[in-house]
Amino acid sequence: MSGAPESIRYGDYLRAIGAGRQRLSYNALGPTLGRDAQGRARPAPATAPIRLRPDEIARLLQPYVSVRFADQLKAVAPLALYLALFQVLILRQLIDDSWLIVGGLFAVILGLMFFMEGLKLGLMPFGELIGQRLPRRSPLPLVLLITLLLGIGVTFAEPAIGALQAAGQNVSPERAPYLWALLNPWSGALVLMIGASVGLAAVLGTLRFLYGWSLKPLIYTALLPVLGLTLYGASQPELAPVLGLAWDAGAVTTGPVTVPLVLALGIGIAAAAGRGDSGLSGFGIVTLASIFPIIGVLLLTLYLAATLTPAEILASAQAVGAASATLPWSARSPWVELLMGLRAIVPLVVFLWLILRWVLKEALPRPREIGLGIAFTVIGMCLFNLGLTYGLSALGGSAGASVPAAFMALPGAAGSPLYRYGVGLSIAVVFAWVLGFAATVAEPALNALGVTAEQLTNGFFKKRTLILAVSVGVACGIALGLTKLVLDLPLVWLIVPPYLLAAVLTWLSSEEFVNVAWDSAGVTTGPITVPLVLAMGLGLGNATGAVEGFGILCLASIGPIISVQLTGLWARWRLAWQARAAGHAPATPSALGAELPL
Amino acid sequence: MTDEKITVLTDVVLITCVVSAGRGDAVILAAREMGAAGALVSHARGIGLRERLGLLGIAIEADKDVVSLLVASDHQDVVFEAVCQAADLGRPGAGLAYISPIERLATFIPREVLERLADQGKAT
Repeated sequence: MSGAPESIRYGDYLRAIGAGRQRLSYNALGPTLGRDAQGRARPAPATAPIRLRPDEIARLLQPYVSVRFADQLKAVAPLALYLALFQVLILRQLIDDSWLIVGGLFAVILGLMFFMEGLKLGLMPFGELIGQRLPRRSPLPLVLLITLLLGIGVTFAEPAIGALQAAGQNVSPERAPYLWALLNPWSGALVLMIGASVGLAAVLGTLRFLYGWSLKPLIYTALLPVLGLTLYGASQPELAPVLGLAWDAGAVTTGPVTVPLVLALGIGIAAAAGRGDSGLSGFGIVTLASIFPIIGVLLLTLYLAATLTPAEILASAQAVGAASATLPWSARSPWVELLMGLRAIVPLVVFLWLILRWVLKEALPRPREIGLGIAFTVIGMCLFNLGLTYGLSALGGSAGASVPAAFMALPGAAGSPLYRYGVGLSIAVVFAWVLGFAATVAEPALNALGVTAEQLTNGFFKKRTLILAVSVGVACGIALGLTKLVLDLPLVWLIVPPYLLAAVLTWLSSEEFVNVAWDSAGVTTGPITVPLVLAMGLGLGNATGAVEGFGILCLASIGPIISVQLTGLWARWRLAWQARAAGHAPATPSALGAELPL
Repeated sequence: MTDEKITVLTDVVLITCVVSAGRGDAVILAAREMGAAGALVSHARGIGLRERLGLLGIAIEADKDVVSLLVASDHQDVVFEAVCQAADLGRPGAGLAYISPIERLATFIPREVLERLADQGKAT
């Protein structure tokens, strides 16, 4: 309309824009009101459902679908493009099966679209209803038990868990017997253990809301066994390869199903107890849910090490290898993804429904809509799993496998090493850094956390600052993880000192920052980052001959914990310095703490 | 009691436009281009169409932006048209817009404006 000529006759304009509009009396639309014998109006009959013609339905659905499609496209496309361009331009390699990968990425986008919408329509109303009603109807122990079971259920439904299981196929049983055993015959137990840890974290996090505990002591007490078990595991040569998996498990669990569902329940419980209004409600569960699985996986490994010898595992691996020549239909490619999709969602739905029927004795509020939502979730999960296999994992794996060509001779890559060792390694590290940064900046969950953090600190800690701090932290973590894989550094020395540093920073920082910083670690690793980074690490590990390619994700988790807390401390220090320079009141810590909402 | 700082405006209409949450900004932009002075946006939940459409109702956001615009009655048709176009009301489920008459509106008007209008003989 801005391109209209300067002067136009007003009447012409009105006619031009308003011509041809139908006029209709609303009286003709509404039901006719009958009157009874006394002349009183009878209540109107129930309104009939609206029927739409196919073209009207298409016009109704078009914006609905396109908005949701664009959301996921924005998250996937830049990363995929970056990976592809890097391979073509810097590594001068064509991507194999590029059409298959493009199809897979399309399936990922479609799958996430369906999954997210299904989550919103189907699973979330379920979770919210149970979260609101259950704590009022049932005693606390029963509520906590259901929270624990829910934690297990949501872990199975988490899309990124499938990536973890898919990663197990490339591990060699000879070099890392316990890692192979955990990812292959024991993968069910592994997911169960991770789920139980998430459930326990949900229970503790809920208790924390209820009694208003500080997060700091919980972090210290959780870190103690984690670091202890890690140090013990690192001292045993057979257990050391499992450490990467254990630490990555924490990052994998806190995804788009776990976080909202468990939070809905926790906040419902806190609200029922009259404690739902604290700004910190909702924080902490994510933190604990990303630390506890580490303990769980390490304990499971210890149990395995106590009951099985590496020789036994090797024997069973050979037996499996012999049997896998003829896979049943349910273990072959398109079907196994579909089955996994069903297996992830259906038990969770059945569990939620049973609670609703037997514990709450309530009917579903909008059964058809929720049913459709659940169907969407299943379709989305199946599509996502397919896309994971053919798109994200393939792309990440091929990127990981070809990146080492920059600095070392690879059998498959012509002309490798492409660059001198130092230059090539630097290129690879910069590549990992940019990948981590780009993957994190676009993460929608981080945006939500940024808004919360801004509200929590009364606008002092800007959303942009948080997103930047977290992205830099993740980027440094992923770059460090790549260096670890290439140089085959022991993971334990990359993990224990940063976590000790994080503990010290936790002690120095204020409660709000501790909450935001530790939660940001769990929030950043979403359903796109996790498979991509996992596959890249495994491909890289295979290419450079490392025993296992895990460990990048957990370094990507510790990065933001440190960077966000450092940013918070720096901001507080700068404010104190400004106050002192301006000759204001003395900046004693207590006065400062009262003055700043930090 | 009179307060000279408050002016009472007449010939004002209220244009209200209800669209799904997040689409309110586009409506405001279009209205301002056509001379609306400002807008008030409130967040609301809409009920009705969503239920009657059956399963297709999922395509309609229950969360709504309600955009309220106070405009001069001379401008009402242009602003209303701009709002309807920006909200894409011809699409099923996009929302609705309506005009309601306002008897009077009290607010502050800068003295410079009042003096200029008094010179033209328009202010009373």
